[in-house]
Amino acid sequence: MCENQSQHGPQEHCSTYIDSQQPRVFLSCWVNGEIISAQIDPMITLLNFLRQGLKLLGTKEGCGEGECGACTIIMNGEAVNACLILAVEAQDAEITTVEGLSTGGQLSILQSEFVSQDALQCGFCTPGMLMSARALLDRTLDPTDPEIKEAIAGNLCRCTGYSPIIAAISSTAKKEREERK
Amino acid sequence: MFSQFKYVKAQTIDEVLTYLGDRDRCVKILAGGTDLMVLMQRNLETPDCLIDIKGIEEMKRLDFVQGVGLFVGASVTVNQVTESKIILEKYQALGQAAKTLASYQLRNRATLVGNVCNASPGADLAGPLLIFEANVHIASLDGRRVLPLAQFFTGPKKTVLAANELVTGISLPDLSSGDQSLYLKQARVKGHDLGIVGVAMRLTLDQKFLVALSAVAPTPIRLLELEEFLNAHPRTPELATKAGEMVQKLIHPISDVRASAEYRLLIAGVLVKRAVTLLTTREAN
Repeated sequence: MCENQSQHGPQEHCSTYIDSQQPRVFLSCWVNGEIISAQIDPMITLLNFLRQGLKLLGTKEGCGEGECGACTIIMNGEAVNACLILAVEAQDAEITTVEGLSTGGQLSILQSEFVSQDALQCGFCTPGMLMSARALLDRTLDPTDPEIKEAIAGNLCRCTGYSPIIAAISSTAKKEREERK
Repeated sequence: MFSQFKYVKAQTIDEVLTYLGDRDRCVKILAGGTDLMVLMQRNLETPDCLIDIKGIEEMKRLDFVQGVGLFVGASVTVNQVTESKIILEKYQALGQAAKTLASYQLRNRATLVGNVCNASPGADLAGPLLIFEANVHIASLDGRRVLPLAQFFTGPKKTVLAANELVTGISLPDLSSGDQSLYLKQARVKGHDLGIVGVAMRLTLDQKFLVALSAVAPTPIRLLELEEFLNAHPRTPELATKAGEMVQKLIHPISDVRASAEYRLLIAGVLVKRAVTLLTTREAN
């Protein structure tokens, strides 16, 4: 965990990896609609900044190498793997994490559909799945099954719940289309 | 755990070249980071300095000029390639290959130039770029040079690029309308997997075949002998079968975690046969 804190006193964040003891750099970006300004270690990943720095623990670390998709977030409108991005690369970016999907404690349609369709078992892949699905639905509210599969191909689910996940994304699209009418 | 590095967001190409010209430092170019960050996490790459090129305007260029061709700058992502109308229309094999590369999230970061510079023998985009006779645009403090992609790869993960050189983009010559191409890839699973064999094939308007394969040799390769064979023979239904047999004599793939050499040979034959059939029948229609 945050071993660095004892060495260097309280900090706005610390990385599980390393305190590079490099001069801190100033990062300013939008996270879930709020502007964030922080002095950060230039060597930490965006994933670690979100988790350790901002305590947004919804975004998960699975493989740490861009294979599993558990760390998927939306950055500037695009689904990306937060484990392969340095926090400094997010300068001025608009970021949405799974915490940004609900409003006022109310689950979004997408989240409610995941719940009602049993589209999760252990739940570890769920935040990443939700963000890949959200990015897809932001591009199109009429996705085909192959498009849904393509959008979540980079999100591994070891409980093998893909069918209900695809169904939940599809029914969300339908509900959001109706809501828009 | 990362080793120590300094992060620099460059604003101009000259700034990048100045860093690359510093012989005392190990400088790495950061574009999408989808290969580099993984290597750094594993400590296989331990750069002193990372130069982020995503802020440089010239690197964002993705433009097509009639009669000249297409230019893809070094920070253009693979998803930008898959969404480019001109690429989907003219350079079909490239658009198809881009769609098979990794996952949607990775394609939002991974760049076409990065896929080439990483120089994996199985690089999905290399085969299509070879059949479109792409050129690599290289800059250093000593000047600029343009090199055919066919001369760029020297081995697995190795290229002719010197430590002080930067690839600024890749260009593809313009094509006649009616130029047909395709990319076929065999992987273990559909979606997000490295290719066991990739076949890129093109049939030009003046009936010339161009063929390139990935993941069957130390580098992605053009198969000139197979092209000559295809170009010298009439378009009979047997031509595809013979081409499939011939490719198995021309390549010497290895066995690895993804497939055995025997399986690669078999699949290369199947994919080449299928590609010839598809291109020649598409033309007849």
